Amino acid sequence: MTAVIEVQGLTKRYKDTLALDAVSFAIEKDTIYGFLGRNGAGKTTAMSILTAQNFATSGSVRVFGEDPYENARVLSRVCFVRESQKYPDDATAKHALAAARLFFPHWDQQLADQLIDEFQLPLRTRIKKLSRGQLSAVGVIIGLASRAEITFFDEPYLGLDAVARQIFYDRLLADYAEHPRTILLSSHLIDEVANLVERVLVIDHGRIIMDETTEDALQKATNLVGPADAVDAFTRGREVIHRESLGRVSSVTFLGTLTAAERSEVSAAGLELAPVSLQQLIVRSTQHAGTSEQGAPAADLKEVAS
Amino acid sequence: MSAVVSSPLGRNRILNVVRLQFINKVTYIWMPLLVLGASWVISILIFAMIPIDEPKFGGGAQAPLWALMAVGIQAMTLSFPFSQAMSLTRREFYLGTLAAASVTGVMLSTAFVLIGLLERATNGMGVNGYFAYLPAMWESGWLGAWFTYLVVTMFLFVIGFWAATIFKRWGTIAVTLVLSGIGLLLVGVVFLITRLEAWPATWTWLVETGPLGLAFWAVPFIALMALGSYLTLRRTVA
Repeated sequence: MTAVIEVQGLTKRYKDTLALDAVSFAIEKDTIYGFLGRNGAGKTTAMSILTAQNFATSGSVRVFGEDPYENARVLSRVCFVRESQKYPDDATAKHALAAARLFFPHWDQQLADQLIDEFQLPLRTRIKKLSRGQLSAVGVIIGLASRAEITFFDEPYLGLDAVARQIFYDRLLADYAEHPRTILLSSHLIDEVANLVERVLVIDHGRIIMDETTEDALQKATNLVGPADAVDAFTRGREVIHRESLGRVSSVTFLGTLTAAERSEVSAAGLELAPVSLQQLIVRSTQHAGTSEQGAPAADLKEVAS
Repeated sequence: MSAVVSSPLGRNRILNVVRLQFINKVTYIWMPLLVLGASWVISILIFAMIPIDEPKFGGGAQAPLWALMAVGIQAMTLSFPFSQAMSLTRREFYLGTLAAASVTGVMLSTAFVLIGLLERATNGMGVNGYFAYLPAMWESGWLGAWFTYLVVTMFLFVIGFWAATIFKRWGTIAVTLVLSGIGLLLVGVVFLITRLEAWPATWTWLVETGPLGLAFWAVPFIALMALGSYLTLRRTVA
């Protein structure tokens, strides 16, 4: 694997807040990342610095091995779709897409046209008159059709309904299969993107608290479903991160895995192992960070993994 | 992928910024032309109402110049954030935007000169009133007038752009401080001239230099301001 982005000790300090606290990570080529975290965790700041739109207080950023700042060679291979993108005053979606076609060397007009159709995006309405969802569609279309080698999507789905979001996920996956590239998708709808992202990068309070494959992350927890008392018997003494009950049936997610012996006990007791929700796992680890010492959840999760 | 890396990026991208700015045709073309046209018509009407036989000269032609200041502000506040989304460097955006403003400047100056020539040919549109054919500006012929008008256009554009960039980067207080600073500087110059009792010499110099001469003097000044606004933009966050 080769890294297309390398970040070392990246710190961003605004007047009285530390948005990024000596963050280090690498982004592998041709992989879809889920860049996850709560509001204000530092996701947008990090992506802005990676695309040279914002400036680091300290630390180093390498994109394709180079400093992206004022570097057309690097920037022309990168596309950053912001949730709150501003467009020129008179611009229509048609104008914005025509501009994108000028600047992104891999732009695929056919794909853009297809997406315009699917999102039912009005081309001749001024962008400032578009609905929130239509505004998001403009960004999504630019992000997909630009086919940049690294594409950042910063919460691209705001205002998009479930159908439109599904179109986005489907097209993203289909196009990615044909044209592999690196995608960083920042999202709050974690379970929606869980099947899409190959790796998760979780940021909390300006620190990376999880950086691994989605599969590995999900293996850190176990979800048991069955009669409430039987489930409780198994989960007693374990760190429960989510519990749902419906009548006498409980579904409990806890940190840790089961040994082979425990697995047979589970099936003997008539309990079922169900898929763990990535959202619950991440909600729990970021909640934890908010209430305890910073850095604790990372250590926590590593312990579980070992 | 290597084809992309080696493709001629630089110049194409800057030219494309000009095209990007001209998406906004209202700002760069129609609004300045409309202001010029409207102030021209209003001037003719006023000239026609003044019952004297001598040639009448009006200053209405400065109106579109101020519009260019607004263009400079909009180029920064509205187009810069979008240029960032188009993965442009700040340098590419700046050079392309300056080129776009020059296109507008050339267009306005040409319209100004054409109006002037028309006024000369029609004895001030038949009412002996001159909106563009102003003696001081046309001393060195139409080319001199054209150049003078262009320089003032670019001067105001750069001021608007720089002020908007300072605002983006440091906020309202910084803009206020800079403007107050310029005001103080001007008062200082006035004080100095007064103290040196140099007013007659100053006026003589201004008159002798004339609008065209002043326009030439303004060129290095504009270049300096353009450099200043680029240096400000280099670290500005959209």
